[in-house]
Amino acid sequence: MRTSTFKTEFISGMHAAIPIIFGFIPVGIAFAIMARQAGFSIAQTCGFSICVYAGASQMMAVGMHTQGASIFAIILATFFLNFRHLIMSTCVFERMHPTTAKLKLLGSFGVTDESFALFTTEKEERCTIAYFLGMNCVMYTSWNLGTCIGAIASDFLPVIITASFGIAFYAMFIALLTPSISTNARLGLLVALTAICNTALVQVIPPSWAMIVSTLVCAFIGIFTVDLDNKEESTNE
Amino acid sequence: MNSTEYALLILGMTLVTYIPRMLPAFLIDKMRFGAKAEKFLRLIPYTAISALVFPGVFLVDGTNPYIGIVGALTAGILAWRRFPVIACVLAAIAVNFLQYSFL
Repeated sequence: MRTSTFKTEFISGMHAAIPIIFGFIPVGIAFAIMARQAGFSIAQTCGFSICVYAGASQMMAVGMHTQGASIFAIILATFFLNFRHLIMSTCVFERMHPTTAKLKLLGSFGVTDESFALFTTEKEERCTIAYFLGMNCVMYTSWNLGTCIGAIASDFLPVIITASFGIAFYAMFIALLTPSISTNARLGLLVALTAICNTALVQVIPPSWAMIVSTLVCAFIGIFTVDLDNKEESTNE
Repeated sequence: MNSTEYALLILGMTLVTYIPRMLPAFLIDKMRFGAKAEKFLRLIPYTAISALVFPGVFLVDGTNPYIGIVGALTAGILAWRRFPVIACVLAAIAVNFLQYSFL
């Protein structure tokens, strides 16, 4: 009985994640093309998606590598960029019905912006580890399938197409930022301040360090200048 | 990048990504941030993403900054009108494809 419940919940989790396939495969392809352009091999490109499983920081790592950043700087920037998952994971596991340590170890690998948004807006009674694992099964497969397609296809795609994908990384970040700042002018100002601060800093210190400094300093300024309450974007269609 | 450097990079990125995802699952009852610390953490994604976009977006094309600017505006306008992230990404790619085609 317990097993069949697990299976049912797992499958309904898979169903819930279907819309995300259309997001993860193209972005996975875009990431892989960027990585191949930056000189990573097909296997290395796929390795990022298999092990790290964090789209934005994978793109950032490739971008920073292209700009000549050190490995340590890339890892530190990844840490800062993904540190938000600490809070997202807290929300996910706060909602989740009690489960075993082994399944927590497995499930927490799948805490992403997208799985967090899907899971924490789901009805409380559906929030089981099986449901979360089902979602992540579809999402992880899509991300790696996209990466695989992009890594192989980049050898055949004409330069004009691969060059066009250079904007994908920025377009994704702009698309993630814009809804929040369009409803919160002070947050918009903070984002603009960070942009100016970082653009100025890269003139004097290496870009990867400039990014970390402007991120932390401006977030600190934001504590006193920005009102974030009631700004949790509900991700309705 | 040689394979030792690559292995270090992947190992480091995997650990610093996985550990913050995994810890709350086990510390959920013990973890309490102060209001200010929590706000700081919630602001970091916005400032980090802004720092990732600027000034890099001007350098998408080594010789012509307008290519990046036009692509970014495309994504920004669609996102402002609440188009999904993937639509913004694909539209920006398509617009840049057109820019490259007609330059």
